[in-house]
Amino acid sequence: MKEKSSKSTKSHQQHNGEVPPFSFNKLLDPEASWDKDQLGDVLHWIRQAVALICGLLWGAIPLVGAIWIVLFLLLSSGIVYCYYAIVLKIDEEEYGGHGTLLQEGMFASITLFLLAWILVYSIFHF
Amino acid sequence: MVFSLSSFRYGDSLIILSISLASAFVCEGISWLLIYRTPNYKSLRSTIDRTSKKLETLKTSAPSTKKSKTKKKDRFETSLKESSRDLSFSKFKSGGVVAIVLIIVFGLLNSLFEGKAVAKLPFTPIPFIQKMSHRGLSGDDPTDCAMVFFYFLCSMSIRSNLQKFLGFAPPRGAAGAGLFPVPDTKSS
Repeated sequence: MKEKSSKSTKSHQQHNGEVPPFSFNKLLDPEASWDKDQLGDVLHWIRQAVALICGLLWGAIPLVGAIWIVLFLLLSSGIVYCYYAIVLKIDEEEYGGHGTLLQEGMFASITLFLLAWILVYSIFHF
Repeated sequence: MVFSLSSFRYGDSLIILSISLASAFVCEGISWLLIYRTPNYKSLRSTIDRTSKKLETLKTSAPSTKKSKTKKKDRFETSLKESSRDLSFSKFKSGGVVAIVLIIVFGLLNSLFEGKAVAKLPFTPIPFIQKMSHRGLSGDDPTDCAMVFFYFLCSMSIRSNLQKFLGFAPPRGAAGAGLFPVPDTKSS
């Protein structure tokens, strides 16, 4: 437990100071400290990317049936969760809990996924 | 370009997609012209960001019962609420213009694609969604998709992502920015 608390206090001290500007290797660096907005934006864009890829893939195969919407939601939430909990190892309590983190960009990603899925399915299979 | 699109049975969906892309850019352009570049908006935006960060650090730091801390917290919260309110007022101006653009685009699409299935749904939507996705269509095939639903999906996904990309998305710290703003119970 000690290692975890020392990490959160360390990232906490940096929290008050200026958060280092965004850099790409920060994306995979569990030591980096994250500002709430920066982390929210990264999770938002991850969700949109997963939505677009799944939409295009489901439409191209094609996968038909509402169950695939549920599977997309589970897949995209799983990816977002694994990213912030395993890759970044952040303490979710500091960022508003799992609810806030998993809700980031959710609605936009669902509409983007449905749009890509319907479009590719309609254009290439009819 | 339009001729080659109609070789696809559901080429109309591509037309709707490009029209909503264009209207999203027009709407953001108008909002930028009327609000986002004005100094008033920028100062409001930075006050909100600064205050919500200070409030954040105040909340996450060790909760102490010191009077000054709770007073400071209340001051931050009220200033956050005020600037959020001013922010939404400043958006009112362009909100009207953007609404007019969206209504015009919707009317145009409606006249072009009224009663026509513009896409095929790879799933059978729940009745609630069907009201929108099967609106104005003849026949009872639930996987036919009407313009209204497709346009809804286009504008929702494109506009919110475009705003996020351009940095015009409402700040997270703004009071009531969340989907269901939980009323803050005032400590007596």
